[in-house]
Amino acid sequence: MIISDNTKKQIDSWIEKYPQGKQSSAVMEALKLVQAENDNQLTSEAIQAVADYLDMPGIAAAEVATFYENYNHKPVGKHIIRFCHNISCMLNGADDLITHLETKLGVKTGEVTKDGLISVKKVECLGACVGAPMFQIDDQYYEHLTADKIDDIVDGLK
Amino acid sequence: MASITIEIDGNIVNAKAGERLITITDREGISVPRFCYHKKLSVSTSCRMCLVDIEGVPKPQTACSTPVSDGMKIHTQNEKAKASQKAVMEFLLINHPLDCPICDQGGECELQDVAVEYGSDVSRFSEGKRVVAPSDIGPLIQTDMTRCIHCTRCVRFGSEIAGIMEMGGTGRGEDLKIEPFLAEGITSELSGNMIDVCPVGALTSKPFRYELRSWQMASADSVARHDLVGSNLYAQTYKGLVKRVVSGDNELVNETWISDRDRFSYEGLAHENRLLLPQIKVEGQWKEVEWNVALDFAIKGLNKNALNSRKAHKLGGLASSTATTEEFYLMQKMLREIGCENIDYRLNVNNLDDPIHLDSNIKLSDLECVDNVLVIGANLRLEQPMINLRLRKAQLAGATVSALNVKAFDYNHKTNHSTVSPNEIATILAGALKVILEKNSLEAPSYITNINPSELSINLAGKLLNSERSVIVLGEHVINNTQAASIAQMVAQIAKQVNGKTLNVTSSANTLGAQYAHFLPKSKGMNTNEMLTADMSAFLLLDIYPEYDFHHSNSAVEALSKDDVFVVSLNSFNNELVAQYSDVLLPMAAMYETSGSHVNINHDMQSFAAAVKAPEEAKPAWKILKVFADLLELQGFHYENITQVSEELRHQKIYKHKQDIAIELGKKSPAIETIWMHSAYHSDALLRHAKSLSSSKIGQTNSASMNTATAKELSLECGNTYLGVPVVVSDSVADRCVFVSSNQSTDMGRE
Ligand code: SF4
Ligand code: FES
Ligand code: FES
Repeated sequence: MIISDNTKKQIDSWIEKYPQGKQSSAVMEALKLVQAENDNQLTSEAIQAVADYLDMPGIAAAEVATFYENYNHKPVGKHIIRFCHNISCMLNGADDLITHLETKLGVKTGEVTKDGLISVKKVECLGACVGAPMFQIDDQYYEHLTADKIDDIVDGLK
Repeated sequence: MASITIEIDGNIVNAKAGERLITITDREGISVPRFCYHKKLSVSTSCRMCLVDIEGVPKPQTACSTPVSDGMKIHTQNEKAKASQKAVMEFLLINHPLDCPICDQGGECELQDVAVEYGSDVSRFSEGKRVVAPSDIGPLIQTDMTRCIHCTRCVRFGSEIAGIMEMGGTGRGEDLKIEPFLAEGITSELSGNMIDVCPVGALTSKPFRYELRSWQMASADSVARHDLVGSNLYAQTYKGLVKRVVSGDNELVNETWISDRDRFSYEGLAHENRLLLPQIKVEGQWKEVEWNVALDFAIKGLNKNALNSRKAHKLGGLASSTATTEEFYLMQKMLREIGCENIDYRLNVNNLDDPIHLDSNIKLSDLECVDNVLVIGANLRLEQPMINLRLRKAQLAGATVSALNVKAFDYNHKTNHSTVSPNEIATILAGALKVILEKNSLEAPSYITNINPSELSINLAGKLLNSERSVIVLGEHVINNTQAASIAQMVAQIAKQVNGKTLNVTSSANTLGAQYAHFLPKSKGMNTNEMLTADMSAFLLLDIYPEYDFHHSNSAVEALSKDDVFVVSLNSFNNELVAQYSDVLLPMAAMYETSGSHVNINHDMQSFAAAVKAPEEAKPAWKILKVFADLLELQGFHYENITQVSEELRHQKIYKHKQDIAIELGKKSPAIETIWMHSAYHSDALLRHAKSLSSSKIGQTNSASMNTATAKELSLECGNTYLGVPVVVSDSVADRCVFVSSNQSTDMGRE
């Protein structure tokens, strides 16, 4: 697993923001950058490569990489739907809507559609409780979801 | 810290301002339940079990993390404290399986104990419980992660004490799992301590799995004998067998940790190769006989070959360095009594004419207070794990560590590695000594006047001069350096010049005990290597396995196998080679089966009693030696018990050869230098027979490392073998050097 020079440069600019010897503080950004250049996915080798680059134990990088939902450990689709299932969204019917989405796409959460276009993930609170239930597709939030609204949005994905 | 008084449960208690509450309650004997807190680890405050009520603070507080201040009034038992503790207990039990009946921790489980006191008898939780698939993390530790309560003690042990973070918490919330990263498993040389720190049955001893309940076993205080530390531990026994070993506490020795090799070596005791019955060789055939027959046979043989014919000078006595001090003492006393001075325990040294002399003059507990460390020729982590643990503490506290090694070994602390060929070491040290002497305005002795100190020498000298508490550690790889004795002397001189200390770990196990027992040839006697080449007529051997133990293994086997040489072997294990050259085999008790003492690097003679009886007809070697002496009708062997032997030898001064040799800096040798070391789990007979250790990563080590250029010069590549050992090409090895770490016997061509 090799991290490209360009990514290394970007990681270095993050390392610079922290005191000397605290380079491992850049782990979140580094994981993000390495994921971006590797099919939007972090394999164990990729995590180890980041850990080596930041001179930290592999398991310590893995702790971070598995804690946050924005790191993917399995192949993902072109678009990722991150469906919030935390308290506000749940109280507003997120569970049923997730089932609706799963049936519509013919996949379970954590899986990718056959055409490789969409993957669905259940995530924790995205801080948009006021618009619950909600999900995030790539970098965009969609709030006050209903089954119809979901159909529209998802059908529009290319 | 200022002295203050606080009130705990209505009693006035003295404390220091800022001390953590739990250390005070522990000191005062007030019980506060806890899971994540461990006195040797950082405070993580993750389990919340230690909640107590502090007056004036609205919410209950965690005793493990709360610093005390003057006048604080604390309640550990009032309703609020109890209710909080019970609530936490209920949460902890939500996901904990009810599998205590099949859990190895049952009976010694902190969760079980605390649950008895704080748990409720009925669970209000009717939802599904979390299940975590067990992961295989190696042959030493069994995981049952469904039982894990996420206290993170094992994680903190790895990152804080063992120095390699191998366990970690992956996932989040209900999916949080404690596991190692990747499928490599756990490789630390101290990994077994995770079993001890785990409060529940998530991490248990794999070799001990499903064996017994803790209350079924008796526990005996004992001392580990695989290295110079002599870690204190408990041997837990059942029906005459050692079933498990757990660590003991001794701040001056091993604190509360033990190495894996000390923990799991007991498995070797039950190996099928144990020598169980006395045997004699009659016309080339082995015959199992009674003890008296075997002893008679041995005495007759010795008499015929060595004693009656006044040939005691043709008798040789050799013992393994793992022997007890009492065994060394009795054996040399007996041999000297019959006029034999050929006595030695140094089997693996090439040049015994100028052996290494270097005193260790620093205590183990002081090692963590040094500010500068120079390691010469040692892979400390694997060879001296407990010493390395102390030095790592010093490093973390700010000490600089430099190492002169043939390979940049994987140390678990920050080290300035200089990879150097063994034949450069003397010159580097001479250079450093020259700089130091100049700085101290002293005249340099003649052998260094021509030296031009290299940058490395100047650098090392600078560090030594600028530090107040330096220690120089001389390691095992130096033992067969062609200039070993000179190196040791320069180390002593440098240390003296900079007011530093020295630590000699060139030999291991109970070698200091051997020196106290005078188990060495004095002026008239022959040393090991001389015995191997002299015209000998008999040998008395104590637990010796030539294919592993001798530097000159081939000549050793040859010398012992000669037709007219009568060999009496006291052994704990038997094998083809031993059977081939021996004439009598006397089964001896192994570690945990015999009483005696071990002298550690603090020069403490640590006594231990046998935890179990030796199997079948095997007897403690000190008893065999005593009876031997009686049969030889020698005076002065009327011991009734081992304590009398210990008392007698306690007055002995350590035996030292003459110290000063003329230091000579030899020429660089043109040949490729090879350092041959046994893998850390193959350094003595008991270890070599301990199956789980042998199958662990460290036990599997069998490699001859060399750099690309050296491999090319030798026309070798990965997949080839060098001296019968698989080649590993690694540029962390010094040029024109090979570092062999092998779990094989040494007769594969080391000579
Ligand atoms: S495995 Fe044991 S020591 Fe490690 S976190 Fe779980 S309960 Fe604690
Ligand atoms: S709970 Fe869904 S956004 Fe906060
Ligand atoms: S012991 Fe205090 S929180 Fe765990």
